[in-house]
Amino acid sequence: MPFLTLGSYRIRYELAGPANGPAYVLVNGLTQYAELWAAYRDALVAQRFRVATFDLLGQGASDKPSLFISQDDQVEALHLLIGELGNGPVFLSGISFGGLLALRYAIAHGERLAGLVPMSTFAELSPQLLLLGNALRTGLILGGTSYLQDLLLPMNLSDAWLKPLLKNLDAVKRQGWLVNDVYALQNLMESFLDFEPLTPKLSSISTPTMILNGEFDFLTPRALHETLRVHIPDSSLVIIPKAYHAFTLEKPALTADLLSRFAGDVLAGRWQGNKAIWIAPDEPGGAMIPFPAGHDHLRAIPASGTAT
Amino acid sequence: MSQFLGPLDSSGRVPPHQQTRVASFLMSLHGALARQLAIALPGQLKAGWQTELNAQLHREAEIVSLLLRATTWVPDLALPWPALSWEAAWLPKPVEGVADVRDALAIDIAALGHAAHGVIRPAALLPVEAQAQDPFVMALRRIEFESGRLIQAQILFLKNDDLKPLRHAVSSAVETRHAQVRKLWTEMLDGIGVRRSDPTIG
Repeated sequence: MPFLTLGSYRIRYELAGPANGPAYVLVNGLTQYAELWAAYRDALVAQRFRVATFDLLGQGASDKPSLFISQDDQVEALHLLIGELGNGPVFLSGISFGGLLALRYAIAHGERLAGLVPMSTFAELSPQLLLLGNALRTGLILGGTSYLQDLLLPMNLSDAWLKPLLKNLDAVKRQGWLVNDVYALQNLMESFLDFEPLTPKLSSISTPTMILNGEFDFLTPRALHETLRVHIPDSSLVIIPKAYHAFTLEKPALTADLLSRFAGDVLAGRWQGNKAIWIAPDEPGGAMIPFPAGHDHLRAIPASGTAT
Repeated sequence: MSQFLGPLDSSGRVPPHQQTRVASFLMSLHGALARQLAIALPGQLKAGWQTELNAQLHREAEIVSLLLRATTWVPDLALPWPALSWEAAWLPKPVEGVADVRDALAIDIAALGHAAHGVIRPAALLPVEAQAQDPFVMALRRIEFESGRLIQAQILFLKNDDLKPLRHAVSSAVETRHAQVRKLWTEMLDGIGVRRSDPTIG
């Protein structure tokens, strides 16, 4: 199990795939751990990508600072990891909290990236997200990691995914519960206490950017992704049909295919963001559909209106 | 070596020699915290967060009482030496870099409490087959569950704005206590045939 050294802390990471291939770096969400990207690693390595996964500072087998974790340190850890990948093209993708860190990295070191894929993420704390975050933190404090998982699972996953697992949810939760500690998760959540919105800096991201948002994402709804689309110049917003916040867990084959196609388009010089809005296919390999003209993509009903 | 306690008996209970060693360690640590809190708590509380410490004092004593009754004890002739080293380790050590001795001691007690409730995950030692209604199993789960709340008193104090000028000394003291508690906990588990794959957990 290799580790990077960040000051006095160790960051656990894994590399897979050909050393000379274009790289994909995948950044965990708040309660996740590197092994949850296994399906992505396998799918992307099969497409000749090199895949880097890691546990954030405070997660899994990485060190867990006892009192304070700064988001700047997380970006620095990401920078160290990307430094391990040589000089080839690097595509960076992150989910939720990991998407925020990917955005921070692109703002600070965008020149190192060939492409950026923020998923289920945000650049600012809307009142809803702020209050939800506070409530989730209180849930963690009062009920522990298990209770936090109980809140997140129904919020972020579909009935179709949950139904067959209802009688076995403890097994689903167990690994995340084992590897994540309450105080460390709390430190990760409290790294938002002095959070400054990234929105004013998004326009500095010149990297090709594909923004992925689940159709039914409750935790980080469409409006938060719209902020990214409007401000990142070479971006497109792709809506994943019938998907919730944690679609990376629920639809790994489709999402890995989208990641691979995006990187292929960028490397072939075909990518044009144009701040366009697309609807992803239901299955891997399907066609992307332009969002119907004349309808408002921020609404859940087919209301007329145009993108801002 | 296994990552979990066991092998369990046919009823899903943890072997008594493992119960004895784990409970001894936890009683030593939580007993030390109870004693230190009893001495450190002022007769008249000065700040809101100290109400949490008062609650913690009684919860630490409750943990000791619970383990005393929930554990299936067996004679353990190898216990006295590690038990002495545990007790010595928990002794208060004024934190370096803090001029006020009372503050330096209070920070150390809080650092030890943070380590006790943050590093140690007794429920994470239980295999999924453990008998949920067994008193020892339930005690370990309860201790871990309560730790998530009890650590809040330490967090409130150690992250308090009053200690901001001492942040480096405070963080260093907490990391030192974490490393110490983790080392002793890991050694104790090694002694009963349990080795966590990741030294930062369990």
